[in-house]
Amino acid sequence: MTQEISSLMDGELSSPEAERAIRACCTTPEAAQKWQEYHLIGDVLRGGLPHPTDTAARVASALQSEPAIIARPKRVLETTVGRVALAAAASVATIGVVGWIGTQGGQLPGGTPVAKTPTALQPVANTTPAAAPTPKVDPQDYYTAHKQLPAAQLYRPVTNRPAPAAAAR
Amino acid sequence: MRSAAVNGMRRVLPALAVGIAFSAQAAADDPIAWLQRAAKAARQASYEGTYVHTNGERISTVRITHVMSGSEEHERIEPLDGDSVEIVRRNDEMFCRFPDAKTVRLDPRITTRFFPGILGTTAESIAASYDVKLGKTERVLGHECRWILLEPRDALRFAQRICSEISSGLILRARTLNQQGLAIEHYSFTDLRIGPQVARSDLKSIFRARNRQWLTDGQPRDEVASADTGWAVAAPTGFHKVTELKRALPGRSEPVSQIVLTDGLATLSVFVEPNANPGRGAESSSEDGATSFFVKPMGEHVVTVLGEVPLATAQQVARGVTRRP
Repeated sequence: MTQEISSLMDGELSSPEAERAIRACCTTPEAAQKWQEYHLIGDVLRGGLPHPTDTAARVASALQSEPAIIARPKRVLETTVGRVALAAAASVATIGVVGWIGTQGGQLPGGTPVAKTPTALQPVANTTPAAAPTPKVDPQDYYTAHKQLPAAQLYRPVTNRPAPAAAAR
Repeated sequence: MRSAAVNGMRRVLPALAVGIAFSAQAAADDPIAWLQRAAKAARQASYEGTYVHTNGERISTVRITHVMSGSEEHERIEPLDGDSVEIVRRNDEMFCRFPDAKTVRLDPRITTRFFPGILGTTAESIAASYDVKLGKTERVLGHECRWILLEPRDALRFAQRICSEISSGLILRARTLNQQGLAIEHYSFTDLRIGPQVARSDLKSIFRARNRQWLTDGQPRDEVASADTGWAVAAPTGFHKVTELKRALPGRSEPVSQIVLTDGLATLSVFVEPNANPGRGAESSSEDGATSFFVKPMGEHVVTVLGEVPLATAQQVARGVTRRP
């Protein structure tokens, strides 16, 4: 596994092998950690200082806050196209993060590995975004309201009333 | 309470054993009586356990403690996934405790029917929409459990399977089947205690002692108040309106109208709110597990229907939304 990740980064793998390695690299936290570490080592060797990050977490959250999470990811991922898209998206996302890491100065990262979960990749894999009801609206909020699940976000202060001083503190 | 003799007899004479357990409460083979017992048990029995809810991509685990004390119903519900939160319910008042924010919120109950209280209306009105039959008896979580089979009388709803514990009536498992007969939503207890061994002390908040001071916000009481939304919904056959209210949703400057319909088993929520992109005309839909989601822009407004029904039912409901004269 470690060898595979290393070979992948050195561009030594054929395309199906690379696809397999990309997919495998993020299936376990250990592998994903390894993947990040290798990139960091590479960055340090090339003279760049790694960036602090929560970058991974921020990228993941930015992806998640994209509209159009209405569609189920499962069906997409079940197809070959979906798998390839996932693999490609994983590479793109990782390269993006590594790019960030390489260009920024700072400390070692303790953030979550990016491209680990399909959730973070949904908007990338969904090429036809379903229309979001209104901007900044999460379909999950409707589900939560429908199921009457208690969720802190349903109690966020709204702009048309003053936030209670006690709750704001 | 089950003696070895009774257990032995059950193996030999299950029909007789069911009769004994049932006592005089209901005829052993009347499916409607089984439904009534199941609905009553969720409210009146004392129980404590953990259940898993699987709906399409969503999986959640919830710990529930339910105690009937005199005429007061007490319940403590703690979702075990995601952010820490705890609901302590006394009759229709729900107190939601968010330990991270050190906040307690009061949230009046609308129709909240957390498992196993999934039967929302009388057995007779459920029977108007579903053909109710009894299935086999099987052992579930160490309890004898009888399956109640609910086949929809039309295409507006899904088939349901409910497993009712034979001595208390409590629902231990439930599943929703799609038109192809595949299970698309599951509820199942994974551990359970039933009866007087569950005490009121089991309801005690596990988060309360974590913080010395809790902020109490009564504001949601106003936001989630029942209200005349000004919108009318043409309820499909067998469905009736439970309530309508206005509630705050994140990202909106105005409250969103919510109208809740049920046929006793399946529940639909209709949301109506101002259209942020009045130019947008496209409808959109999705399905996940038993939940259908349909968005229909209507000029200045957007109608969003969400419910555990086939997509066509959600679409029918969305198209039947009109301004009340």
